[in-house]
Amino acid sequence: MGAVFDSLSELSQKLASREVSSLELVGAALARADATQSTLHAFVGLRPANARAEAEQSDARRRRGEPRSPLDGIPIAIKDNMVQTGEPTTCASRILEGFVSPYTATAVARLEHAGAVVIGRTNMDEFAMGSSTEHSSSGPTRNPWRLASTPGGSSGGSAAAVAAGIVPAALGSDTGGSIRQPASFCGVVGIKPTYGRVSRWGLVAFASSLDQIGVFTRSARDAASLLERISGHDPSDSTSIPEPAPELASALDGDVSGLVVGLPRECFVAEGVDPGVLAAVEGAVAELERAGAKVREVSLPHTRHAIATYYLIATAEASSNLARYDGVRYGRRASGARNLTEMYERTRSEGFGEEVKRRILLGTYVLSAGYYDAYYRKAQQVRTLLRGDFERAFGACDVIVTPTCPEVAFDLGAKTSDPLAMYLSDIYTVSANLAGIPGLSIPCGLVRGLPVGLQLLGPALGEAVLLRMADAFERRTPHQARRPEGFP
Amino acid sequence: MARITRDEVEKVAALARLSLGDEAAERMASELDQILEYAWSLSQVDTSDVEPTAHAIPLPTPLREDRAAPPLDPELAVANAPEREGSAFVVPKVIEGDEEG
Amino acid sequence: MSAPAHPRFEVVIGLEVHTQLRTESKLFSPAPVSYGLPPNHSVHPICLALPGVLPTLNARAVELAIRAALATHCKVHPRSIFARKNYFYPDLPKGYQISQYEDPIATGGWIEVALEEGGEARTKRVGLTRIHMEEDAGKSIHDAAATGDSSQIDLNRAGVPLLEIVSEPDLRSPAEAAAYLRTLRQILRYIEVSDADLEKGHFRCDANVSLRRPGQSALGTRTELKNLNSFRFVEMALEAEIERQAGVLERGGRVQQATMAFDPNTRRTRVLRLKENADDYRYFPDPDLIPLMLSEQQIDRVRASLPELAEQKCARFVREFGLSEYDARQLTASRAFADFFEQAAAAHGTPKTVANWMLRDLREALSARECEIDATPVSAASFAALLGLVDSGRLTAKSARELVGVLVADGGSPEELMRARGLEAVADTGVLEAAVAAVISENAENAERYRSGDEKILNFLMGQVMRRTGGKASPAAVRELLSRKLAGKPS
Repeated sequence: MGAVFDSLSELSQKLASREVSSLELVGAALARADATQSTLHAFVGLRPANARAEAEQSDARRRRGEPRSPLDGIPIAIKDNMVQTGEPTTCASRILEGFVSPYTATAVARLEHAGAVVIGRTNMDEFAMGSSTEHSSSGPTRNPWRLASTPGGSSGGSAAAVAAGIVPAALGSDTGGSIRQPASFCGVVGIKPTYGRVSRWGLVAFASSLDQIGVFTRSARDAASLLERISGHDPSDSTSIPEPAPELASALDGDVSGLVVGLPRECFVAEGVDPGVLAAVEGAVAELERAGAKVREVSLPHTRHAIATYYLIATAEASSNLARYDGVRYGRRASGARNLTEMYERTRSEGFGEEVKRRILLGTYVLSAGYYDAYYRKAQQVRTLLRGDFERAFGACDVIVTPTCPEVAFDLGAKTSDPLAMYLSDIYTVSANLAGIPGLSIPCGLVRGLPVGLQLLGPALGEAVLLRMADAFERRTPHQARRPEGFP
Repeated sequence: MARITRDEVEKVAALARLSLGDEAAERMASELDQILEYAWSLSQVDTSDVEPTAHAIPLPTPLREDRAAPPLDPELAVANAPEREGSAFVVPKVIEGDEEG
Repeated sequence: MSAPAHPRFEVVIGLEVHTQLRTESKLFSPAPVSYGLPPNHSVHPICLALPGVLPTLNARAVELAIRAALATHCKVHPRSIFARKNYFYPDLPKGYQISQYEDPIATGGWIEVALEEGGEARTKRVGLTRIHMEEDAGKSIHDAAATGDSSQIDLNRAGVPLLEIVSEPDLRSPAEAAAYLRTLRQILRYIEVSDADLEKGHFRCDANVSLRRPGQSALGTRTELKNLNSFRFVEMALEAEIERQAGVLERGGRVQQATMAFDPNTRRTRVLRLKENADDYRYFPDPDLIPLMLSEQQIDRVRASLPELAEQKCARFVREFGLSEYDARQLTASRAFADFFEQAAAAHGTPKTVANWMLRDLREALSARECEIDATPVSAASFAALLGLVDSGRLTAKSARELVGVLVADGGSPEELMRARGLEAVADTGVLEAAVAAVISENAENAERYRSGDEKILNFLMGQVMRRTGGKASPAAVRELLSRKLAGKPS
C-alpha cells in the first residue's frame, strides 16, 4: 500500500512492481480528500465514479504490461480553472454554476494520455484573482500547517491537497504568483514554467499574457517528471512556444558547482520582509554556495514598479476576458430581468464576487478612453524595461534567488479588507510573469512553524537549471521532507 | 485629489455591465482610488522611446491551415444554455439601435 | 468635374465595405463557414467563447487579405496587430470582436472606377484608406414567431472572416458611390478573395456622408448609414440622406453626428442613435494572438499568384485580339465571362466573331435567364463548335441563335442538337439547285435586272431561295449558286 506522503516517483515504482494498484491509490486519495474536506476544503468537486473507473482501466493496462507512462494510474488533482470533457468547471465562481465542458484542456488531456487519474477539481480564488483562496464561491481553503492560516492563492486548493498528502501532485495556474506563493505557504514545490511552455488551451483565462499552467509536487524530481508530460508545443494556443517538451528529470544530477546564483540587491532590502524569511533565504543561499554555486549580486531596478505594472496589465486583460460571462450561452443567468441590459447587469453583479468586480472595474478603467496611454500603455512600456532588467541579469548569472513571499502564511481574513495590501504580497512573484520567465518555489525552512519558500528564477526556457538547483538543494537539506503536523 | 470619482466608477461599471449599489460604488471608488494612486508611481519611470511589450516571449506568427473541422454537435453547443429554443440561444429582446457602431 | 449631386452643396461620401473572405473555416476557429444551416449547427467551442478557448489565425484569410491589398494598390505592412474591440451584444460571444485597429494589414491604395454620365465615359481614382481583417458577429433573430419578448441567437456566422475596406471620402455622388461598389465587388470576385454575394450578405456597406458649401475646405458633420445591402439601396439611401441633410442645413440647422438607418419603403433615413455619447470600445492588442509578421517573400508569393485584373485584361484584349475598347470592357466585366471568351476564341480561331456572338446573342440568352455564365451548362468549347457550324455553312445564323438559348438552358453538343432539331442547313446540291432554278424561272424579270447590273436584287432572290428551303440552306452556298446560275454558267 502506498504511504500518504509517498512521492510521485515512489508511487510510480510501486505501481510498476504491482505492490499497489491504481484503484487503491485513487480510492485512498478520494477518501483522504473526503476526510479533510471539512477542515481543509481543498476541493471544489470530486469525481469518484469516473476516477475509480479510470483507475481500473489503468490497472488493466498495467496487468497487460502496457502502461502508458510512469504516471499511469497516479491520482492527481487539477485546479478548477482547467476544463475536462463532461465535467463541471466553475473557477470558484457563481457565474459558472452548472457549466459542463464539452472539451478538455491540453494540459489535462496530456495527463489523461499518460494515464494519470484526475480525482477532482481544487479550490481557488475566483477566476484566479487573489492570493489567499478566500475569494471562492464555495468558501476558503485552509492551510494544512495551521488551519487558521490561508494556504495562499490563487491555487490554494492544489497546494493544500499536495501538502496534506491527498495527492502526490496537482496542476495549478500562475498569473502573478498563484503557484509559487501557495507552494511557499504550504511547504511544497511549485513551478511556473516559461510563458508558452504549457498550452493555455482549456485554461480559463484571467490575464492571457501572464497566465501559465504549472505543477505542485512534494519534490523537484516529481515536478520535473510531471512538467515534462504537460509541456510542449500546442497549435491550439498561438502563444505556445514551438519547441518540444524539454528533458527535465534527466538533468537532475545533484551538481550545481559552477552555477552562478544572482541575488538582486533590491529584493533583500525591501521593506516589510519578515526577518525570519530573509534569514531562511540567506541560509539557503549559503547552502547553495557550499554545494559549489557561485553567488553574485545582480540588479533588477524596475522590479519596484512590478506590482503596479502587473495590476494594470492583468486587470485590463481580465476585464476583457471576463466579458464572455454574460448569461447567454452558459453558466448562471439572473432571473427576472425585464430587458437585455438588466439581464447582463444582474447576471454579472450576482455572479461575480467582490474581488473580481474590483478588478474588472480597474481593468475597464485603465483601458478606457483618456486613460489608456497613462496606465495601460505605460505599464506595457515598463514591462519592456523589466524584461530588459532580467535579460541583463541573466547575462551575469544562471539563476536568480529571492524569497518567494515577504512573509509566511497569513491568517484568514487578515487582508480581505485591504486589497492593496493583498496585492503587495505578490512583490517577488509578479516579475516572472511580466518577463515570461520560469519561476520555482521550494521549501527552505520554517518560521514560527510555518514554511518559507525560496524562489528560483531562470531565463526563458531555463526550467531544467531551476529544477536541477532545486533538486540539489533538496538533497542537501531536510526542509522538503517536513510535513504539516496534525495531518496523520 | 482623487484619481477616480464615484461618477467615473459608475460610468466604468456601466461599460462593464456591472450594477453597483450606492454603498458598493462608494467603497469601490475609494479602493480603486487607492490602487490607482499606487499605480501612478509608474509615471515617474522614463519610458520615452520604449516599445510596449504585449508578449514577453517573441514568437514567429503561427498560422492555421484553412481546413474546416467538423462542427460541435448542436445539442452540445446549446447544452449549457440558460434558455434555448431548439438549437438557438434565447435572450431578452434585442432592440435595434443597441447595436454596436 | 461631373454634374453635382446637389445644386447647392458639395456631397462628400466615404464607404466602408465588409466583404466575406472565401475560406473553408472561420478566421480564428476551425469551424466550417456555412450558409443556411439551422442555428448553431456550424460552431466550435471557440465560436461559443467557452471558458478556456483560444484563437488561431487562418492562413488562407491572411493570404486573401494580402491579395485584396495588392489588387487595390495598398501597402501591405510587414507587421500588423489584432486588437480587441470590447462591447456587449448577445451575438458577440466573447464580449469583444477581434479586429485590426491601430496597425491594419494594409493602408493607402486606390481603385480606378469607370463612370458614365450623359453618355460620356470617364474614370475616377478613388483612394482607399485601409484594409483590415476582422471576425463577423453572429445573428440575432428578432422575428421568430415563437419569441415575443425575446430574441434568438445563432452563432453560425460568428467568427466568419471579413475584410473591411475603407475608402477615402473621395466620392461626390450616390452614383459614384454605387459605381465604386460595383468596381470593388468586381475586383474582389476577380481575384477570388470573396464571392461578394450580396444576397448572402457577403458584401455589406456602411456609408459616411456629409455636405459642405462649394469652396469650403473643411468637411461637414457626417452621418453614417448602416448595413446597406444592395447597390440600389446605397444610391437610394444616400439620395435620401443628402436630401435630409440639405434640408437641415438650409433651414439653418446643424447636422448631428449619428448612425442612420434607411427604410426602403418610405425612402427615408432615420436616426438609429446619436453619437454624442460615443462608445468606448477599449481597444487593446489581443494578448492571445501575436503580431502578424509578413516577410517580403511571403507578400511577393501572393503577388505572383495574383490573377490578371479586369483593367489589365481589357487592355490585353484590345491589344491581342484587336477588339474595340468598348467590347473588351464588356467582355471583361466578370472573370468568368472573360475566361469563357478566351477559351472560345482559342477554340474557334476568330476572336472578333466570338466577341460579337457573346456580346449579342449569348448575353441576351443569359439575361433572359438572369444568370451568370459560370452558372450555366454551356461550355466555351461547345460555343466555339456552334460558331464553327455557322462558318462551315451547316447552320444558319438564325438557327444558331436558337441553339445559343438551348445551350445556355440545358447545355449539350451543338452538332447533336442541330441534328435532333432538324436544323442542319440544306447542303444537298440537288435540292438547292432545284430551288435556285425554280426561283430564277419564277422571277425572270428580277433575274434579268440582276444580269443587267442591279446586284442588289440578288438579296431578294436569295430570300426566295431561303424561303423555299425553309431557312435551312446556308446563305453562303445559296449566294454562290444563285450568282453562278444567273450568270448562266454551267454548274
